[in-house]
Amino acid sequence: MKPAALAIVALALVIAVVPQFTHCKAMTAMSKHATGATTMTVTPMRCYWSARAEIGVGVPLALSGVLLFLSRRKESRRFLALLSGTLGAVAMLVPTVLIGVCSSPTARCHTVMRPTLLAAGGLVVALSVAALALNELRPAGAAGGDSAGDVVASRAPVAAS
Amino acid sequence: MKIDRLTVLALRNAAGDPVRSWLIAVCAFAIAAFAVSTAILVSGGQDSLQLAADRLGADVVVVPRGAATEVDGALLMGTVSRRWMPQADVARIAAVRGVAVASPQIYLESLSHASCCAVSDMFIVAFDPRTDFTVEPWLHQQLGGTLGSEQAVGGSQVTTPVNSNIMLYGYTMWLRGKLEPTGTNLDRSLFITLSTAYAMARSSRTTAVKPLVIPKDRVSSVMVKVTPGADPAKVADAISRALPGVSAVVRPQMFAAYRTQIAGLLHVMLVVLTLLLALALVVIVLLLSMAAHGRRRELGVLRALGASRGVVVVMLLAEALIVACAGGLAGVAVAGFGMSLFHTLIASRLGIPFVYSSGGALTAQIAAGLGLALLAVGAAAAVPALRVSGEEPALAMRE
Repeated sequence: MKPAALAIVALALVIAVVPQFTHCKAMTAMSKHATGATTMTVTPMRCYWSARAEIGVGVPLALSGVLLFLSRRKESRRFLALLSGTLGAVAMLVPTVLIGVCSSPTARCHTVMRPTLLAAGGLVVALSVAALALNELRPAGAAGGDSAGDVVASRAPVAAS
Repeated sequence: MKIDRLTVLALRNAAGDPVRSWLIAVCAFAIAAFAVSTAILVSGGQDSLQLAADRLGADVVVVPRGAATEVDGALLMGTVSRRWMPQADVARIAAVRGVAVASPQIYLESLSHASCCAVSDMFIVAFDPRTDFTVEPWLHQQLGGTLGSEQAVGGSQVTTPVNSNIMLYGYTMWLRGKLEPTGTNLDRSLFITLSTAYAMARSSRTTAVKPLVIPKDRVSSVMVKVTPGADPAKVADAISRALPGVSAVVRPQMFAAYRTQIAGLLHVMLVVLTLLLALALVVIVLLLSMAAHGRRRELGVLRALGASRGVVVVMLLAEALIVACAGGLAGVAVAGFGMSLFHTLIASRLGIPFVYSSGGALTAQIAAGLGLALLAVGAAAAVPALRVSGEEPALAMRE
């Protein structure tokens, strides 16, 4: 469970960071006017917006991974594994369905950013499913799985009760 | 002892020593993954070159002398050739004995990031529709007609939809269709007629950010089809002798630099695979020897209870092969998934074209990769298995 949570945190960082260095930045286009003068316009590409959106996926995914690592309640881990899996799926959907990348098959966003996000998102989904399965198979109260409370509650002084 | 009982016993033994099982699985994973990705990459490169040569359809390609690699690069990777040959050479080539058709081509490129070009840095092949045998037969077969002026055919990866307009140098053309994929730059190229290319060049003086310049009476290459029964090598020799300023390349020697590059890649990959196999064999032999040594008493008891030497060998081999099978399957899956995602990046970094081989060839490559991993682990496991099974049960139990 804990190795899976740590791997999810690492993959979340990949999802959030890699696109920021592999999108095509912006399309610069030269235009020629009737006067003969040329101007240059700068338009952000689709992959730029995908990269921005992946920050919004990667950060909560990292947080979810950290909480999955710390959490001791079976119900919390179940919810966090489901959340991580959903965010992993969204990380895959952003460059494919929701926003997309540049249409050119040789563009850097197409050859590096998209496959990296698909691989990382796919791994997050697989790890989340594995974490969920392990959580469900593990009996309540097993090692690392104190169902009586989360990490904060489990550290409460015995005398207080 | 029945086979299913042996399997259960082998599974239990494999699960009983997770560190040993994981290490064997990792070895099998590495062998299978590396072998499968090498096979996919190398056969994909070779198939791509073959498809590109078939697409061009020429028995002999005539290019300016010393520009063969440059023209290959233009067709395969999109690095535009700046070398030209006189248009008058086309008639002289056509007159050479054994030449059935000689068809000129001009290689051009669209501008980078210019509003007058719908696609940046697109490779353009202009051909003569009267003599062409590269695009015209496909057009006749698929679209039932020839390519007119202001019309174009694209490679499979041209992003503009079919039957819509595509603008290059401010000149609008109608995209009539897309060709089958080859894995080369031809997939990202636009095919137009020579008259359309000249019209685009004339228009570009006023409509484009930068005019398109096509040198007068010059062509980039000449595609040659030989007469039935003629030897392409002899025809190529005759062309080279008749026109000293050109190089004539026969189809099997086309893209020679890329064929050499793929052969070099295969050579390096085979050396790495051999080293990987040797390392994996040493690791597995050591691991299983240590494990077998630690289990001598247990195996001695098994022999004393009536198990034959063969049963002990099969059980030890089964333990290793079950784990290797799991590792090998994972390696094949990771290699296949990784190649499907990153093949464009890997091929472009290696400077080779790539197209997926046929389903049958892919299946054979996957089976070969998995088979190699199982064979390596099986061979390595056989060494300690044969040694430990040959010991006297009484001697083994005493220790």
